[in-house]
Amino acid sequence: MSSAGVITSFIKKEFRQIMRSREMLIVLFALPAVQLLVMGFAVTNEVKNLRLGILDYDRSASSRDLISSFSSGDRFQVVPVSESDNAAELISAWKAQLVLVIPPDFGADYQMGRQSSLQLVLDGIDGNSAAVANSYAAGVIADFYQRQSKTRLHRAPLPRLSPGVQLISQMSFNPDLKSSLNTIPGIIAILVTVTSMMLSAISLVKEKELGTLEQLMVTPVKRYQLMAGKLIPYLIITLVQLQVAILLAGLIFGLELAGSYFTLILFSVVYLFTSLGLGILISSRVNSQQQAMFFSWFIMVVMILLSGFFVPIRNMPQSIQWISFINPLSHYMTVLREIVVKGSSLAQLSRELWILSASGLLVFGFSVLSFRKRV
Amino acid sequence: MNVLKIKELSVRYGSVEALSEVDLEVQPAMVYGIIGPDGAGKTTLMRSICTLLPYQEGSIEVLGYDAASQAKEIRARIGYMPQRFSLYQDLSVQQNLRFFARLFKVNHAEMLKRREQLYKFSRLEPFAKRLTGNLSGGMKQKLALSCALIHTPELIILDEPTFGVDPVSRVEFWQILHQLKADGISIVVSTPYMDEASQCDKIVLLHKGRVIGQGSPAETISGWKGKLYSLTSRDLQKLYAFLQTKAGKDNLQLFGSEIHLFSEQELSSDKIADWQSEFPELESCVEIKPGMEDVFLRMMQ
Repeated sequence: MSSAGVITSFIKKEFRQIMRSREMLIVLFALPAVQLLVMGFAVTNEVKNLRLGILDYDRSASSRDLISSFSSGDRFQVVPVSESDNAAELISAWKAQLVLVIPPDFGADYQMGRQSSLQLVLDGIDGNSAAVANSYAAGVIADFYQRQSKTRLHRAPLPRLSPGVQLISQMSFNPDLKSSLNTIPGIIAILVTVTSMMLSAISLVKEKELGTLEQLMVTPVKRYQLMAGKLIPYLIITLVQLQVAILLAGLIFGLELAGSYFTLILFSVVYLFTSLGLGILISSRVNSQQQAMFFSWFIMVVMILLSGFFVPIRNMPQSIQWISFINPLSHYMTVLREIVVKGSSLAQLSRELWILSASGLLVFGFSVLSFRKRV
Repeated sequence: MNVLKIKELSVRYGSVEALSEVDLEVQPAMVYGIIGPDGAGKTTLMRSICTLLPYQEGSIEVLGYDAASQAKEIRARIGYMPQRFSLYQDLSVQQNLRFFARLFKVNHAEMLKRREQLYKFSRLEPFAKRLTGNLSGGMKQKLALSCALIHTPELIILDEPTFGVDPVSRVEFWQILHQLKADGISIVVSTPYMDEASQCDKIVLLHKGRVIGQGSPAETISGWKGKLYSLTSRDLQKLYAFLQTKAGKDNLQLFGSEIHLFSEQELSSDKIADWQSEFPELESCVEIKPGMEDVFLRMMQ
C-alpha cells in the first residue's frame, strides 16, 4: 500500500466523521451567514443618525435654511430642544451627540457679508465618531454657504468664505465610500482563520481525549501522513466555506469579485498553511479540547485586533506595527481586499505572496516537526 | 528466540519512578500475564514495550528489534490494545477494521481474507455496519482485538482488555486468546483479575513498579511456604478483631464471607479448640490450598 493510499484512507475517515456531525453543517453555512450579516452591517465606520440639537438664537430666514439643510438626509436626526437648554447639558443628558449653536446676529451678519461664526459642540467620548460627525457638519455648513452665495450672487457682495482653491476629491475603487466593501473581505479573512484554526486545534487533541491517538501512534503511519490526513479535509472544508461566504456576500451586499478567482484561492491555500499549522501546533501541545479552545481563541483575538480590521495598522505605535507585520492575518486581509475590491493581479501582490508563503512554511514546518508519535 | 526481552528497565515520570529494574522474557506462542493492582506500573510497562514511552534505563527488545531505536519496525509487527477503548465510535465496525488495515498497509485482498477469519472468532459479522459506539462492552473489546490483529502481528500487547466487561464476555474473550495462542501468536496481557492470571502460561507480579514474583501460575502457587486457613463466623468483623490479637494483622486477609489466615506452621487442633472456647462464634477453621490472590497478597507484604 502506497503512502498516498494511507493518506487517502485518513481523509476518507475524517470526512466520514465530519459529515456525520451536524455541527459541521452549521460551521459550513450558518457561520458565514451569521458573521456576514451581523458584522457586515454592524462593523462600519460610517456614522449615521447622529442626534443633533440645534440652539437657534437667531430665528432668521438664513438660520432656518441652515437647519433644513441639516435635517435632509439620514446623517443627522434633529432632536427637539427647548430654549432654556444649553449645549453641554444636552450632551451630558445624552439627548444629543452634537449641538449646533446659531448666534443671535447670524442672519444679519450673513446678509451684510460680515464674518459670522457658528458653534459646534460635540460629544468627544468616541473620538472617531466625533471626528467624522465634525467633518459631516462642516461639509453641510460649507455646502450651505456655497448654495447661498450662488443664489444671491446678483444681490449682495459675496461673503469671503469660499476659498480661491477648490479641492475636488475622487474616491477610487469605492466611490460611494461604502464601508461594507472594506469590512466584508475582512470578515471573510477572519472567518477563514477562525474555522481553520478551530478545526485543526481540536483535531489531534480530540483523538487524544478519546484515546484513539494512542492506537494511531502504534501503527506504522508516518508523521507527515497523519498530518496530511488530518489537514487536507480541513483545507477543503475551509475553502468550501470561503466559497459560501463569497456567494453570500454577493447576495446580501452585492459584492462583486473584481479580481481573479484563481488568485483568491491561491492566496487562501497559502494562508491556510499558517492557520492550520498554528491549530495543529496547539493541538499537539495541549491535553484537552478546552485548553485547545482557550489557546486558539487567545491567538485569534490578538491576530484579529492587530489585523487592521478594527483599527488601521498605521494608527498603531511603531512597535505594534512591527508585530502587525508578522501577523499573517493582516497580510491575508490586505490581499483579500486588494483582490475583491481593486482586482489586483498576482504580480502586484507578489510581496504578500512571499510573506505568506514564508509564514506558512515556517509555522507548518515547525508544527509537523515538533509533533511526536509518543504518548 | 524470545519475542520479548526486557532487561533492568526503569521508567521515570519526572521524579516519580513508575518502573524500576524490571526483567522480563516472553517465549513465542505463550500467554504472558502482567498482574498487579492499579498503579503497579502495568500500563507504563506495556506502553514502553509498544515504543510509546521513552525509558531511562535498561533495554527492551521486541521481536529482535530495539525499542529505543527501531520503533518503526516494532510498530509494524505488533498489535496493541490500549486500556481505554480507542477505536472510532462514530465509524462502523467494518470502517474501523478497514481503516486500521490501511494504516498497517494490508492490501485489500489480504484484508478481506483476514477480516473473514476475525469475524469467525469475534462473531461480529452481523454487526459489521453498526456504529462502534452502539456496540456492547464485550463486542467493543472483541472489535479492538480484531483491529489489533488485522495485520497478523506476531505479538499482541493487551492492556486490561477485559476491564469493565461482563463475566460471560470475559470467558469468551479468554477463549479467543487461547485460540490465538494455538495459532502461534504471543500474547502479553495485563489484568487486575486473579482468576485470569491462572489462565496465563506465565505471570509476572508487579507491585509499585517492581517485579515481586515471576513464573507459571502453578509454580507461583507451589512456591508458597506455610499454611493457609479459612475461618468463618456470623460476625466477621468481630472475628477479625479477635484474630488480630492472636495472629497479627499482617497474616489476615478478608475474603468475602471468610477470613484467610496465614501461618508458618500448622495450627494444632488444641489451638483451634482454644480459640473456639475463647471466641464461641467461630464456626469453622479449615486448612485450604492458597489461590493466586492469596499468593499475590502475601507477596505484597
